[in-house]
Amino acid sequence: MNKQHERTPQGSATKRRTAGRKNFDTAPTIISGKNYLSSYLDDCYHHTCLSLYQNPPIGEIGLEEFEVWAIERLKILNEIDSALKRNKPFQEIELIVLPMLNKSLPLILSKDQDKNTENRRKDYYSHFILKLCFSRSAELREKFVKCETIIFKVRFESMSGVEQRQFVQHMNLPWEYITSAEKAEMSQQLYTSIQPSLRFQLNLTDEISRRDYFEKEEFIKIPFEYVPELISSRSVFLKQGHAFVPKFQQINLLTLEFTGNLQKTLISTSHAFPTLDEEDRLIPILNHLGAANNFLEDDSVFDELMNSEVNSVTVKSTKITRNFPLCASHLMDGLTSAHHLKYLARKQFSLFLKWIGLSVDEALKFWASEFTQTMGMDKFEKEYKYNFRHDYGLEGSKIKYKPWDCRKILSQPRPHAGEYHGCPYRDLSKDSLKAQLKSMGLKDEEVYGVLEINSKGDPTASCTKVLELKTNGLVNEIVTHPNLYYDRMRVYHKKLDDTEGETAAEAES
Amino acid sequence: MTSSESQEKSQEPTTVPSSSTSEASQPQDVQPKAKVSSSDMEFYYKNLLPFRYVFQWLNHSPKPSTDFTMREFAYEFQSGAYRRYNSFDSLEDFKESIVKNNPSRFEVGAVYEINPRDRKSVPKSKMKPMEKELAFDIDLTDYDDVRTCCSKTAICTKCWKFITIATKIMDVALREDFGFEHIIWVFSGRRGAHCWVSDKRARQLNESQRRSVIEYMDVLKNKGTKRLNLRRPFHPHVQRSIDLLKAEFLDIILNEQDPWADDQAAFTALLKFPLEPLNKKLKEYWIENPGRSSLDKWSDINKICTDLSLQKYDLLAVNETKEELILEATYPRLDVEVTRQMNHLLKSPFCIHPGTGNVCVPFDSKNVFDPTKAPNLHQLQNEIIGWKGDNEVNDINRTSLKPYVESFGKYVTNLLKSEKNGKREREDESLEF
Repeated sequence: MNKQHERTPQGSATKRRTAGRKNFDTAPTIISGKNYLSSYLDDCYHHTCLSLYQNPPIGEIGLEEFEVWAIERLKILNEIDSALKRNKPFQEIELIVLPMLNKSLPLILSKDQDKNTENRRKDYYSHFILKLCFSRSAELREKFVKCETIIFKVRFESMSGVEQRQFVQHMNLPWEYITSAEKAEMSQQLYTSIQPSLRFQLNLTDEISRRDYFEKEEFIKIPFEYVPELISSRSVFLKQGHAFVPKFQQINLLTLEFTGNLQKTLISTSHAFPTLDEEDRLIPILNHLGAANNFLEDDSVFDELMNSEVNSVTVKSTKITRNFPLCASHLMDGLTSAHHLKYLARKQFSLFLKWIGLSVDEALKFWASEFTQTMGMDKFEKEYKYNFRHDYGLEGSKIKYKPWDCRKILSQPRPHAGEYHGCPYRDLSKDSLKAQLKSMGLKDEEVYGVLEINSKGDPTASCTKVLELKTNGLVNEIVTHPNLYYDRMRVYHKKLDDTEGETAAEAES
Repeated sequence: MTSSESQEKSQEPTTVPSSSTSEASQPQDVQPKAKVSSSDMEFYYKNLLPFRYVFQWLNHSPKPSTDFTMREFAYEFQSGAYRRYNSFDSLEDFKESIVKNNPSRFEVGAVYEINPRDRKSVPKSKMKPMEKELAFDIDLTDYDDVRTCCSKTAICTKCWKFITIATKIMDVALREDFGFEHIIWVFSGRRGAHCWVSDKRARQLNESQRRSVIEYMDVLKNKGTKRLNLRRPFHPHVQRSIDLLKAEFLDIILNEQDPWADDQAAFTALLKFPLEPLNKKLKEYWIENPGRSSLDKWSDINKICTDLSLQKYDLLAVNETKEELILEATYPRLDVEVTRQMNHLLKSPFCIHPGTGNVCVPFDSKNVFDPTKAPNLHQLQNEIIGWKGDNEVNDINRTSLKPYVESFGKYVTNLLKSEKNGKREREDESLEF
């Protein structure tokens, strides 16, 4: 039991008390426990509505809460992730995220201390539960950090000045506000250092308002190592290894601290994960949560697919190929007509197929069946087999390769004649694209609509439109990844088949 | 600095061997720039290179610590072969290996989490550099557009002034802005200089912090290949650099280098004023009066401004552009990657430059260093052969390398002292808890 306490802060996010121990808990201790929890959380949030999530969560949590809370937070993270992927500026993301936070994870302080505690508990636990979920690979960790940092920033910006200051003071950072005497002493250097940022960042266009702002501004003295971005851009005054950061830049400091802290604890969580003795209770929930988020890196999403419908024969059937984005159909066409693909096309296609669930053995069968129509099996085994096995992480440096996303595909050298890799929306001539779209079953006016979008120069926008059209407007997701397109189409078709099956069954009965 | 003084005092080498005890079986070849043979190198490693100081400088303590034992060294051989990930357990091991392998030069890298020798037994991701001196590299070839006295690999005392002013600007920024104290400059043996900062705080910087330091310093952005785009008012560091450069600009650029005597060069370099009439007028004037010197052309700017009777506001803009031109011509041109990458290797002080035979001697930015008088291996060998004094004197002290070794020794002693104090302070702090 105690071991579990020590293992990780996150380990204690789980139900900490055994049933046996609970027998000793009498009513009074529960009340004091509640008070204790309330003041503990007060400390974690520095009496504000923001936390660095440094201390482990305490108290009890039911399995249901565990899952429900995590899902609610996950929804927000997914929303942020998709906004980030679409390159939205922070202000726009803030507009999306703040209402969601206020709805599912409100932290605005009220007089009702019980309510505050309850809100904080939910926020605190959900953060730590997802930390467990996301600690398992470098990609997931990076995403978690990015999205949680946005939440942190949005919340900080929504706090009052008094609260902000209170929060900053409670953070144990090696920084101090300089005295007005110190400020006066360096005023010339301080002002010239921040004058450009006042102008371009805070849009203070005239000198008088800039001076005014400067006179009122407070400065923080901090070792220069903490503010690399501000040093790079020469936006702060430096003296004897200290940077003098104007208060309006402090959010940079805070997010840096937040991010650094989070990265560290994520790593330690990932180390602790294998020793988590929770095979029966928590791991299934965590796996389920992992599947609920659409981050492709998570293996558990594909475990189920791996032994499913895709094999060396079915991969060519319409049941599968109808879900293909145009790039994949184009590659399949190339392969079945030439019985060969060049290096980049092989790589692009084989990784795509791998992640729709084609196992390595089936993949080798599939590729061999095509390639051996123009060459002997010897040659295939000698020159190509290694290649495909490499894609599956079985050769060489044994890297688990991920399927190429649209950005990666678009950044490769463009295909020459007789090559099939790349993105057809970018690489095909207008006429051949038109023919391809028609063969995908789009109506004439739909084809023209797509061509119209395509002429604007963003190929993924065309693909997004096609996905929307093919799913009768039911899927409006931005296509950033061929496998995302495949997945959405597959789900769509599956639903369609199921309802058709049902109606057929109904008709029969 | 004593080094340059006593170096000049040192006697001219004679070719007659005076004492037979000298180990130098060497050279009849007195040419200072003659090619360095592998036996010359072996002699140098055995007798002259001050391994102890280099060891202490990298080890930060007299007894071997992980700062040294986990540090990567790379060998470059005459054949061009390059061997990375060497590491040594002690000063003796260090010297022995270098004498045995006899590389044409060796480079210093980072301190790793895993002993560099054992890198094959761990995954690549484990080979993380933990600490390294903060390093800077300035090379005169990057100044070829403003350098008329020499080009490519050649240098002279005139163009070395670019390096001298660069070391001053860097030195003051490193000390005053970043608070570093243990800074040493090293002649790279031919046409540039390296700067090593050994403060504990500098060694512990991670890559993004190193990037921030170099970007702060790299006012020109990539050796001036990009158009200057500095925000006004200038940051205190830029302003201080301008003030230092203004004084030197007249001397180095206008009088000595005179890069804009060539009219075409002047057109591309100087006509960057935000006032088209001024650019046009200047160009016309220089076409009418071809071949005016850089100094003349520089003063022409003011003259034409008066002719055009520019407003105060415009004059301000002209002055700002002039300041930018001064920066573009003289501000240090830095190699960003050397500073940014923690696993980057840099030639060790006191190596021999394989092309010139010059010793990569350390120097102080506060004193004038003359690279054309830097000790050269063949010269040193001759000095030993020509030694007429006491036979008990060791080889280093018979040569003009002596003052450089001594001043480096002092520098290292200081570094070790502050390291020891720092350690004590840190221990005291931890006792408080």
